[in-house]
Amino acid sequence: MKMMYGMLMALTPAALYAIYAYRLQALFLILTGVISAVAAEAIFQKLTGKKITVKDGSAAITGLLLSLAVSVSTPLYALGISAVFGIIAGKQLLGGLGKNLFNPAMFGRLFYLFVFPDSILPWRQPVDLTTAATPLEILRETGSTAGVSILDQFLGFIPGTIGEISSLMLLIGFAYLVYRRFVRWRIPASAFATVLVLAIIAGQNPLFHFFAGSLMLGACFMATDPMTSPRFEKGQIIFGIGIGLIIMSMRWWGWQTPGEYVFTEGTTFAVLTMNLFVPYLNKKFKPSRS
Amino acid sequence: MALNSVLRLISVLMVMLVVGLIGFRISSSRLKKKGIEPEKAVPQAKLQAKKYSLIAAFLYMVAMVSVAGLFM
Repeated sequence: MKMMYGMLMALTPAALYAIYAYRLQALFLILTGVISAVAAEAIFQKLTGKKITVKDGSAAITGLLLSLAVSVSTPLYALGISAVFGIIAGKQLLGGLGKNLFNPAMFGRLFYLFVFPDSILPWRQPVDLTTAATPLEILRETGSTAGVSILDQFLGFIPGTIGEISSLMLLIGFAYLVYRRFVRWRIPASAFATVLVLAIIAGQNPLFHFFAGSLMLGACFMATDPMTSPRFEKGQIIFGIGIGLIIMSMRWWGWQTPGEYVFTEGTTFAVLTMNLFVPYLNKKFKPSRS
Repeated sequence: MALNSVLRLISVLMVMLVVGLIGFRISSSRLKKKGIEPEKAVPQAKLQAKKYSLIAAFLYMVAMVSVAGLFM
């Protein structure tokens, strides 16, 4: 429970910055995500006769992470329904915390991308809320990372989902998690190392890739979920490398949806795909007793 | 809520339901063959079926998002 509340603390800087950047709409999104997730868990557990465990904070984290991973244009009902799906299908269906196969926030986000793709656009610039393209969309259109200010990306003056825009705020939160030893740091470290190597091979600025899209939010806060990530060191490194590989391939080639949204970011798909390999990685890299 | 979204929502729930039901039948017959008592086999088969239905939902959503032109 300590760890769960530590995670909430760590996400607070990013959440506060989201409220600063996107005003009341961000606050409403965060409240909707958290309340929907917590209510869904409590109601599901009540209906199935299980002990209500919302006080452990895990449902609140799922709701907060999901709300930070949507665009400011998202209608509240779309986020609410996605949070309910993430909690019930992604977590409670297999028996609750510790038994889930997928990260519930990411599962909810995939559902959101699938069911409500129209609600993602338009992306909005923080603070002044004008419509603008994300750095990854600029990369896709121009084939270059040159037109984007790395400092703006780092500080949070670029469009994106409400929680991913400021890498600085996410890094402050992540540093707190590392300091408190609440996080499996090898996962984000190997994901970032993979992104670094691939970006250099492609002749692109690695810092652009570090601060663009939801890599920071996904690798530092979602991929490190102790319930859906490998337990052992080697497994964690392979898990992180897999995430980095999938994210970079999505950024380069992506998925073109005719007439609709173009998926230039693959953190959701990367983390969920690698979640499927966790039982195998745990089995394969279990240290032998000697 | 747009009709498209309602259809997508229903489709993913249907995929989960159908795969879950098929998965339950397959799992329970496998466990029967192994000689596990029905009292123990049913909860195990249910858990397996839920896993299959979640994986199917994941694959379905990813496939539909990636080849969205077919559906959206």
